[in-house]
Amino acid sequence: MSSPVSTAPAAAPVAAPAAVPHPARDAWRMFLRSRAALAGTLLLACIVAVALFGPMVYDADPFAIVAAPQTAPGDPDAWLGTDQLGRDVLAGLVYGGRASLAVGVVAAVLSALIGLTAGALAGYYGGGVDEALTRVMEFFQVLPALLFAMVLVTLFSPSLTTISLAIGITSWTATARLTRAEFMRLRDLDFVRAERAIGAGNARIIWRVILPNALPPLVVSGTMAIGSAILFEAGLSFLGLGDPNRMSWGLMIGSARPYLLTCWWAVVFPGLAIFASVLSISLIGDGLNDALNPKLRER
Amino acid sequence: MDNLLALLRKACHAALLTLAVVVLNFLLIRLAPGDPVETIAGSMGGITDELRAQLRSQYGLDQPLPVQLATYVKHVLHGDLGYSYFFNLPVSGLIAERVPATLLLVLASVAVAFVLGTALGVLASRKPHGPLSQAITVLSMTGHAAPVFWSGMMLVILFASVWPILPVSDMHSMTSDGQGLAAVLDVAWHMVLPTFTLSLVYLAQYSRLSRASMLEVLGSDYIRTARAKGLSEHHVLYHHALRNALLPVVTVLGLQFGNVVAGAILVETVFNWPGLGRLAFDSILRRDYPTVLGVLLFSAIVVVLMNQLTDALYRLIDPRIRA
Amino acid sequence: MTGFAPFLPRLRHALMACALSAVAVCQAVAADTPKPGGTLVIGTTQSPRHLNGAVQSGIATAVPSTQLFASPLRFDDKWNPQPYLAESWKLAEDGKSLTLNLRHNAVFHDGKPITSEDVAFSIMTIKAKHPFQSMLAPVEKVDTPDAYTAVIRMSQPHPAILLAMSPALCPILPKHIYGDGREITTHPANSAGVVGSGPFRFAEFVPGQRIVLTRFDKFFLPGKPYLDKIVITVNPDAQSLALGMERGDIQLLPYESVSTDLKRLQNNPNLTLTRKGYEGVGALNWLAFNLDRKPLSDVRVRHAIASAIDRNFIVKALHSGFSQVADGPIVSSSPFATTDLHRYPYDLKQAEQWLDEAGYKRNAGGERMTLTIDYLPGTDEQQKNVAEYIRTQMKKIGVTVQVRASADFASWAKRISAHDFDMTMDNVFNWGDPVIGVARTYMSTNIKPVVWTNTQSYRNPKVDELLNTAAGTLDATKRRAYYATFQKIVTDDLPIFYINTTPYHTVASKKLSNLPTTIWGPASPLDEVYFK
Repeated sequence: MSSPVSTAPAAAPVAAPAAVPHPARDAWRMFLRSRAALAGTLLLACIVAVALFGPMVYDADPFAIVAAPQTAPGDPDAWLGTDQLGRDVLAGLVYGGRASLAVGVVAAVLSALIGLTAGALAGYYGGGVDEALTRVMEFFQVLPALLFAMVLVTLFSPSLTTISLAIGITSWTATARLTRAEFMRLRDLDFVRAERAIGAGNARIIWRVILPNALPPLVVSGTMAIGSAILFEAGLSFLGLGDPNRMSWGLMIGSARPYLLTCWWAVVFPGLAIFASVLSISLIGDGLNDALNPKLRER
Repeated sequence: MDNLLALLRKACHAALLTLAVVVLNFLLIRLAPGDPVETIAGSMGGITDELRAQLRSQYGLDQPLPVQLATYVKHVLHGDLGYSYFFNLPVSGLIAERVPATLLLVLASVAVAFVLGTALGVLASRKPHGPLSQAITVLSMTGHAAPVFWSGMMLVILFASVWPILPVSDMHSMTSDGQGLAAVLDVAWHMVLPTFTLSLVYLAQYSRLSRASMLEVLGSDYIRTARAKGLSEHHVLYHHALRNALLPVVTVLGLQFGNVVAGAILVETVFNWPGLGRLAFDSILRRDYPTVLGVLLFSAIVVVLMNQLTDALYRLIDPRIRA
Repeated sequence: MTGFAPFLPRLRHALMACALSAVAVCQAVAADTPKPGGTLVIGTTQSPRHLNGAVQSGIATAVPSTQLFASPLRFDDKWNPQPYLAESWKLAEDGKSLTLNLRHNAVFHDGKPITSEDVAFSIMTIKAKHPFQSMLAPVEKVDTPDAYTAVIRMSQPHPAILLAMSPALCPILPKHIYGDGREITTHPANSAGVVGSGPFRFAEFVPGQRIVLTRFDKFFLPGKPYLDKIVITVNPDAQSLALGMERGDIQLLPYESVSTDLKRLQNNPNLTLTRKGYEGVGALNWLAFNLDRKPLSDVRVRHAIASAIDRNFIVKALHSGFSQVADGPIVSSSPFATTDLHRYPYDLKQAEQWLDEAGYKRNAGGERMTLTIDYLPGTDEQQKNVAEYIRTQMKKIGVTVQVRASADFASWAKRISAHDFDMTMDNVFNWGDPVIGVARTYMSTNIKPVVWTNTQSYRNPKVDELLNTAAGTLDATKRRAYYATFQKIVTDDLPIFYINTTPYHTVASKKLSNLPTTIWGPASPLDEVYFK
């Protein structure tokens, strides 16, 4: 990856890029050099491919009974075995990906949108706006996320939409804090002052000038947020509060739990699927972090 | 005097925040569709109309919403969290009975994760791109990426079927009378698996964080100065770098307690650990709203307290920040 | 002298044989002689709200309540009433009064004597507060001519009154505790410091976790109970309970119905399994139709759906043979059950024919109609799995079924009580006498927005008349005949299609003796149980 600490004298400290196109190519090259990040990308690509195209290739109803209950893996009717009802575990994996990944992405996007907006406004305007928004941030940070999401889902009945909303609403504070910090750091720098001097409006400055420069840590944070959202949805489904009419990996684990000791494959495989998804996203996130973080680039 | 005022303001702030949490959830629950009395009726197997009216008035459900809210807040301020719809016992009693179990679990898990994670992270930071560092990174990532309830269930398979040396359920064995050293050891024995499972989640965070933090600190000016002064690497690492590297870790530690009930819910469910998380989950399913509100309130209080504590701790560790 | 010598070896043998058989007899006698002592740990997945069965129905409450509180009568395994708190009783010739003669030596756990006042108080409380309103509906008052005689006066003959005196349904409460004016359904004495009349006294109730009871030394049956302590431990995970049984941590596991656990426990040499003890509770697993909705209002459609479900498959494959096919509203183990019913053998062609006749032909896509099916969340094997199986089967006859899952009981109950369903799986108990648990499902007067009433909106005046008449008929033969006709009509009208009896089993450690295998099984006092 990058050179170790003790060699080569430090180059001139990287100041915030002054209205210069982002060294995206450098970042990209750095990302590609990380084996872990590449492995993660490849893994994620496979998982997404299976989730998107799998159901077209492997046409089976994950809720249908294909063989005797609790058939062990290796059976030609169900390669990864069947669960306590006789449903195909492989079909569940293939179809379950859609629900799990979709919720993960939608919830992460939602939390990113809310967080970005709140953080940007708070960090840029400061003063009363900051005070107010910080209070709101604190409030949502104090709220116990899983518990609140459970309450929301139970009150308004579980569906993929409700769950995505619940997760998004409870997970935006991290992004908001980060965005706020970045905006506070960037708003008084020269290039921003220059923009103001030439008469650019606040909106333009926020969205067109500062935000692009604040992106690197936000991209990393957003990537990790997808992983967290996937785990969050899995937890809700496991507890029985997921959308019961859609097959998801968490649901598979939760419903097979009473048969754990006799039918371990119905629990192990969906868990591995979740694990692989979140791991690949974490690897990508780490790679992005190393690639986009200017401080590390020195080394 | 200044300090006292600041402290008072902080206390007010914290109290208001907690109250806000309670008010929001109270309103949410009241406004959402569904009638708690019907749920109670269902759990009783059906009730007479007369009893239905009685329950409605007993729980104040026949009052207008603002009145209900005001009554509830007034009671909360006096420490009265109401009565559970399901058990008809004081919510504060139910919570108090479960708090020790969850506290034990969470504190132990966080302690294990913190100590182990920081140690691993510091180790990894010595040769940031060496094989050990990468191995530690991968290992900790694994612990984080696997859903905590699934890791728990894998352990259950291991210790229930394959290698039955540890209990996989409950906090006490059936024959324990809850007294004496034997009981303490019994609980400790039951604690092993749930604690380890829950610590896996935090472990990843701490090792990554401490590694990154150490690396950042190690690259900074005053460390270079320390090295230039001829101090041993050991001294540099542990005496100077670690203290500063711990700052973000401590911050995260404080934030972690926001998840006191969250992470615990999943682990407590898998291992039938009789804690607050279980109570919260069961109460949600039973639509036992007073208990749910009580747990939310308790959670909020804990988080607010931990935030204050973390702030104070931060100030202690970082010599640059003074009140 | 030499005359004896050849006999000596044979004599020795004979003496040995005598000695050995004497020892064997002694051992056998010892094994049959109950020994006091021991702690019995009972496992359950359901958490009771409190411990007073007078104001709360359900098996979760019944198990602890029947230990804490005694009832006037108890029943054996042949549906015969036996003396309990009442040492004798007499149902009047006209059936409008039941005289209970109470024991003179019975005291409550706080030492105060149990008198007819307490019996009167308890019965009137149950009448007012218990969810099973039909159980004591005709009771007008309870006279107490003296301290140990209670006469229950009823407005009409009510033979169900005898079964209503069972431990699970008629706990005798202390009037001096519960008669203080506070609302009994929410009385603090239901969960703490419970003062009862039964063989075991209250030691501890940790909500959602465990109940601890200890022997009551002054129980009115001298020498009983034998056990020192009973611990009821709550664990929502049935699998953990099964593990506990295997490890010997738990010695009694009643109401176990999960086939994977049953299979495992069956093969354990230290455990016994029995399905005896559940005849009284009479648990049925069924598919209910909403008769207010088209096309289910057409009886041919219902018949067709019934014929497309292979219950033998359900029993054998989904329940691993542990359950039994149910054909009618009354469980086959009840004395009121008849075998003269309308049945629906598995016949897909017949099903399709009926649907065609009813006018629901297949469209271009092969579909005739779309229906939804709900199920009780929690017991997957009995409910969810069967619902999914039904969905698959319905597809074969051109009926598209959407399985609607509810996150929890409250969500399901909300739907069903609002009659917002097409079909739903359900699990309902007979509770002994048809008046108590059966009539509520079929009476047109019981169409209410509450679960476990006539949520099917079934209206048949003949059935109403039969049920009402049977409720007040004293002559056992006539009564059975009425219920037989009722069963025949109902299995023809088919507001409900019966699938199986819930395969409740009691799993017990072989160290336990005298387990309750009466009609009420584990929902009875465990005063006769002992460790070998």
